[in-house]
Amino acid sequence: MSNLAAESPTLADFGTDVWWIIVIKVVGIFALLVALTLFAILFERKVVGRMQQRIGPNRVGPRGGLQSLADGLKLAFKEDIMPALADKPIYFLAPVIAAVPAFLAFSVIPIGPIVSIFGERTPLQLTDLPVGVLIVLACSAMGVYGIVLAGWASGSTYPLLGSLRSAAQMISYEIAMGLSIVAVFLYAGTMSTSGIVEAQESGSEVSAFGLNFDGPGWYAVVLPVSFIIYCIAVVGETNRAPFDLPEAESELVGGFHTEYSSLKFALFYLAEYINMVTVSALAATLFLGGWRAPWPISIWDGANSGWWPVLWFIGKVILGLFVFTWLRATLPRMRYDQFMRFGWKVLVPVALLWILVVATMRVLSREYDFNAGDIALYVGIPVLVLVMAVVWLWPDKAPDPTVKEGVPPTTRGAFPTPPLDLVVPPSPPLIKRDAVAAGKRGGGKRA
Amino acid sequence: MLNPYIPIVGLFALAAAFALFSVAAAPYIGPRRYNKAKVDAYECGIEPVDQPLGGARFPVKYYLTAMLFIIFDIEIIFLYPWAVANDSLGLFGLIEMVLFIGTVFIAYAYVWRRGGLEWD
Amino acid sequence: MSHAAVLAADVVSSGEAGAFWVLGPIALAGAIGMVLSRNAIHSALWLVLTMLSLGGFYFVQQAPFLGAVQIIVYTGAIMILFLFVLMLVGRDYSDSIVETLRGQRVAAILLGIGFAGLVGGLIADATSGVESVGLAESNADGGNVAAIARLLFTDYLLAFELTSALLITAAVGAMILAHIEHESGSRPGQKEQSIARIKGPRPQTLTGPGVFARGNSVAAPALLPDGSVAEDSRATGMKMRQPPAIASGSIDDLDDVTVDSGANRDGVPT
Repeated sequence: MSNLAAESPTLADFGTDVWWIIVIKVVGIFALLVALTLFAILFERKVVGRMQQRIGPNRVGPRGGLQSLADGLKLAFKEDIMPALADKPIYFLAPVIAAVPAFLAFSVIPIGPIVSIFGERTPLQLTDLPVGVLIVLACSAMGVYGIVLAGWASGSTYPLLGSLRSAAQMISYEIAMGLSIVAVFLYAGTMSTSGIVEAQESGSEVSAFGLNFDGPGWYAVVLPVSFIIYCIAVVGETNRAPFDLPEAESELVGGFHTEYSSLKFALFYLAEYINMVTVSALAATLFLGGWRAPWPISIWDGANSGWWPVLWFIGKVILGLFVFTWLRATLPRMRYDQFMRFGWKVLVPVALLWILVVATMRVLSREYDFNAGDIALYVGIPVLVLVMAVVWLWPDKAPDPTVKEGVPPTTRGAFPTPPLDLVVPPSPPLIKRDAVAAGKRGGGKRA
Repeated sequence: MLNPYIPIVGLFALAAAFALFSVAAAPYIGPRRYNKAKVDAYECGIEPVDQPLGGARFPVKYYLTAMLFIIFDIEIIFLYPWAVANDSLGLFGLIEMVLFIGTVFIAYAYVWRRGGLEWD
Repeated sequence: MSHAAVLAADVVSSGEAGAFWVLGPIALAGAIGMVLSRNAIHSALWLVLTMLSLGGFYFVQQAPFLGAVQIIVYTGAIMILFLFVLMLVGRDYSDSIVETLRGQRVAAILLGIGFAGLVGGLIADATSGVESVGLAESNADGGNVAAIARLLFTDYLLAFELTSALLITAAVGAMILAHIEHESGSRPGQKEQSIARIKGPRPQTLTGPGVFARGNSVAAPALLPDGSVAEDSRATGMKMRQPPAIASGSIDDLDDVTVDSGANRDGVPT
């Protein structure tokens, strides 16, 4: 174990690299983010395709594998349009302001333990600071500017509305996100990302029913409420479905980037996906044990040494991306008032309450020498039973008398169901009349 | 002592160079065919008005959200060092923080009660 | 300012001095740009640049927590509030260049330079030759963040608790300034509107203009399968074009096509 423990970097291990290691790491992080973005776009389309009984992109490259690269190249050769009403300098800078913090946020994410690169021993992490996680928060705070300014500078109504919604949404959910990670700091006693990964190496010993268990170390298990709030908050923070109101295409066309085209649009797209990757990586770091192998693999002694952890880490990030995609394929978009109410009236008070509960538990267990496992056993289980009983016994809502229940009419059909006895009419004979041709073009997408 | 920051500066330089290059190169790589309709604001087909909605002005409602955001942001900033040093602050620190969160909660409850969290 | 930096150069590392000479001009440029910009939003962005540089200064001076807080709270929260407030006034708003008081501009410039020189000189005088002590001690034992926590939650306890009172004041002020009270039930909210729509006679969206018509302009009303105009597709507030004249000859042909497929007109949603 001592051999493995020596692999985990501490804060003192950072800032000692020689210059060419730094260059390799910087270029490596940049390439990793771009590659993960290209992968995430394709992965999302493939997974959503499967979830909708389709195949997804399969034309460009083997099994459609080069689709996102082709899309990116295509964007570069599209015309770059500067709207006449745009505020030119800010319109020009907004994509840069959106993209650069997205890259920077990844600089404190630990990808692996100390490895040897060409004989130099160095942690697989660009850098770490005593305030590591705050760097990510600072970058997401700066990312808001890119979106607000893009919408404002476009000089157009839809982008302005999109950026308004986006700014209000991102700052609201940033609060929930910021509160959700306080409990992690409470347990880890540090804000440095490598320290938090280290703290999740093994859990405290739990004794229940006379048996001793080695409790789980992952904060997703120890602090489930924090983990859930974090997951919900980052979906709002990254403007993804079901919280993608800033670019609700049925109401706002494309939201804040409606007026953007070509590589400027590509930068916004890149920033969105990098943000997804970053929050997934942060979720892995804060709650899912970072680069450490998950349980069945961790039995193998070599799982947490050398370059293997990179694989576990990337796997956890892809798991996060999969959840993002899953949400998008499953949930309808929320209404704006529901969304803001949920953020301010549910997430924030629950997060605050949870912080106080966790802190009280910790202080009590320290002052009065309680065992955390005992508290979980004698307080947690009764509370759980109580909650389940309340949920079970809660009276059902009285049925709304104005809602007509029953089978939809079989003959005429009512929106949105077609009549049950629908007979598809035979295809009309091909008459090359304009009216018929125009009729076939109808029913297209309404902007 | 500044060494941990050097990689961040390096990544910043690389990302900024990439983003600025993309933005600056875009007009030269793509085609340029002028058409007045292209540079007009996008309005789903109707003739665009001279200015975006309300002269590009934000409703005052958003000011309230931003103010609430600042209040909670400051609360969070106080929570972080408290959480990190929780083990050494002990029961005294906990009581302090309960008082602080409770007081800020009064502000929150007030805004909630007055309907400041409602959207319509 | 520069005087102090030169004097301080022997007690600070070369890296810190280098960072100072990069960040200092950026902060200054931001401040000057903020004053000189005509457009209010541009001014605010210049100020963001200054705030970011100040955050960088904190990092350079071994106060990473303060640096991060500077960026999160000042550039992330307070400057967003600034932007929102400026956007309240609209994008065409810019500074007036009319001088209301004669000679005010010259006087302001002179006094400003004098004041800056005075303050700069005083600070340079007060800080020159002062050796920085205690950095290592204060950042030892748990690091920068824990050291701040120890000070904040013991010695500066009262100030910390008073902050919460300040936050209440801010909330009350914001409510009074920006909250518009609606009598409850006086105006349907999004929820009521949504319920009313689903329960109403027409839950779906109105027919889009141009559907089945020969043009897809917003000014062309949609046509029903029998060629008549769908009234609910007429856009409000604009002059609708006449429906494309389906010539009298061809409408019969159309009827021929659709007349025997009555189910199409009745059942299939168009």
